[in-house]
Amino acid sequence: MIATIKAEWRKSRLRPAFLIAAGVIAGITVLVYAANWYLALHPLATRGGDRAIVSLATLYPDQFVNNVMGAAFPIGAAMAIVLGALFAGSEYGWGTVKTMFTQRPGRLTVWTGRVFVFGVWMLIMTFVLFGVGAATSVVVALFQGHAITGPAAIDLAKGIGAIWLVFMVNGSIGLALGVLIRQPAAALGIGLTYVLAVEIIAVRIINLINNGQFKNVTEQFVNQNATALTQSFTSPAFGTISPPAISADHAVLVLAAYGIGLTIVAAGLLRLRDVT
Amino acid sequence: MDNTNTTIVETHGLTKRYGSGVLAVNSIDMSVRRGEVYGFLGPNGAGKTTTLRMLVGLIRPTAGTATAAGHAPGNPAGLAKIGSLIESPGFYPYLSGRENMRVIADFAGVNHKRVEEVLDIVELASRAGRKFGTYSTGMKQRLGVAAALLKDPELLILDEPTNGLDPQGMAEMRKLIKDIGQGERTVLLSSHLLGEVEQICDRVGVISNGKLVKQSTVQDLLGEKGVVVKAEPSEKASEVLIRMFGAASVVHEDGYFHLKTDPARSMEINQQLINAGIGVSELRPFERSLEEVFFQLTGEKQGS
Repeated sequence: MIATIKAEWRKSRLRPAFLIAAGVIAGITVLVYAANWYLALHPLATRGGDRAIVSLATLYPDQFVNNVMGAAFPIGAAMAIVLGALFAGSEYGWGTVKTMFTQRPGRLTVWTGRVFVFGVWMLIMTFVLFGVGAATSVVVALFQGHAITGPAAIDLAKGIGAIWLVFMVNGSIGLALGVLIRQPAAALGIGLTYVLAVEIIAVRIINLINNGQFKNVTEQFVNQNATALTQSFTSPAFGTISPPAISADHAVLVLAAYGIGLTIVAAGLLRLRDVT
Repeated sequence: MDNTNTTIVETHGLTKRYGSGVLAVNSIDMSVRRGEVYGFLGPNGAGKTTTLRMLVGLIRPTAGTATAAGHAPGNPAGLAKIGSLIESPGFYPYLSGRENMRVIADFAGVNHKRVEEVLDIVELASRAGRKFGTYSTGMKQRLGVAAALLKDPELLILDEPTNGLDPQGMAEMRKLIKDIGQGERTVLLSSHLLGEVEQICDRVGVISNGKLVKQSTVQDLLGEKGVVVKAEPSEKASEVLIRMFGAASVVHEDGYFHLKTDPARSMEINQQLINAGIGVSELRPFERSLEEVFFQLTGEKQGS
C-alpha cells in the first residue's frame, strides 16, 4: 500500500491539473476578498440605503473561516469534480491503467492508494484556500488598522474538515464518472452538468410538488447538503441569515455516505471490468 | 539448470467472448517453456492481444484456465515475476521518461537504481530527462520495453513491440529482444511479422480466428529440408534415388523428385545420377518459408 501511495504521489505531484487548480483556488479567494473589500468600502453599494452589502467586519482574520466557505463553494466543488474526472479518466486515455495493473499491487490496492492521494490533494487545495484566505484577511486588517485576531482553533479545524469533505465528495463524483465512462472529457462534462444544472433543476421541481411534500428527498442531494454545511459557518458579522433547512450534522452524514458510496462503486467497477 | 522442459505459461481451453458476442479467443491450449523465446504469431485481429491481456490479468477469460509465472493471471505474486508491454506503451505524457520509470518502480516495489540500469539497456539514458509526450514512436517503444524489464522478470511478454517503428527501429528492437532473450529469461513475443518471429523465436504458436492452429519449434513448423530433382529417364532416376535414400524419402510428383535429405548432399546426388547415365535438368534445395507455412495454417491468401 505504501509503495502504491508513493507511486501515486510521485505521478500526481507534478500534474499540471492539480497545480493549476491550487492556483485557481488561491486566485479566486483573493478575488472574492478584493471584491468584498471594494463593496464594503464603497457606500454606493448598499442594500436599502442603510447598510453595505458586505460588512468590513467579515473580512478580518477572526472571520476568515466563515468567509472562505463562500469563496470555495460552488466553484471549488466544480473544480473538484473536474480534477476527479481527470484523475480517474485520463489513465484510460493514456493507457496507464494497464501499466498500473500489470505491476505488483492488486487492483483494489491501486485504487485505495489513488483515492488516498486524491484526498491528500483535496486537503492541499483546502489548505491553499484557508492559507490564502487567512493571508488576505491579514492584509485587509493591516490596511484598515484593525486588530489581528485569529478564529478559534476548533472553528478552523471544523472549517477545514467541512471544505475537505465538500471537495472530496464532489471529487468522488468525478472519480466515479471517470472510472465509469473511462475517459475524462465526458466524465467531467456530465459531472459539472449534474452539479451545476441537473441537481438544481431537480430540487426546484421536487420542491414544487404538493407544496414541498417531497422536500425530504431533496435534502438527500449532494449539493443541498454541501450548501447547508458551508452556510452553517456564519456569525453575526454576516447579518441575519435564516438557518439552513438541513442541519450540519445531517449534511456531514449524507456527504460522507456519498463519498464512501461512490468510491466503493468505482472500486467495484475497476475490480470487475476488463481493461481493453 | 535446464529449465526448458518446465512451462512458465500454460493455458487450457482459454476462451474470451466479449459482451458484443465476438469470440476473440476460442479454447486455446498453449504452453511456453522456461527460457525460450516463444513467438505468438497471427494476423491482425486473430486474438493475440486478447490472449496476452488474459495472461496478465487485464481481461478475465470467459472459460478455461491459465497460469503465468506459476500463478493465476493478475495474482500479485505472479505479476511480480512478469514484465509486459501490451499493445502501445502507457505512460504519463507530462512526466519525463525517467520519472515515468520511477513511478512504475514504486508500483512494482523496485529500487530506483534499477531504473538507470534498464534505461541503459534500451539506450535511453541520455534522453530520459525529456517529457514522454515529446518522445518519438521508437523511443516510446523502447521505454515500454524498459518498463517491462524493471522487475528483472522471469517472463517478459511483448505484444507487437515493433509496431509503428521504421525499418531501422525494427532492426534495433529485434536486436534488443534477442539480447534480452538470452539466458534464462522467457520471452513471449506476439507479432504478425513473420520474418521477425523466424529470426528471434525458438518456438511459435500460430493463432487464427481465435484458435491456436499450430504450436511447435520454428524448425518443425518449416518442415524437413530437402532437395528437388528433375531427371530423365525418371524410372531409372527413381531406382537410383530410392537406392540412395530409401523409398520413404523419395516422392515423385509432377515430374519432380522430392527428396527428404540434407541439401548439402546435392553434389553427391548429381554425381550418382550422372554416373548412372541420367540427365539432370534441375537440382535445388527445398525449404518452406515461415510465410508459406503461416498462410497455409491460417487459410489466408498470400498477397491479399
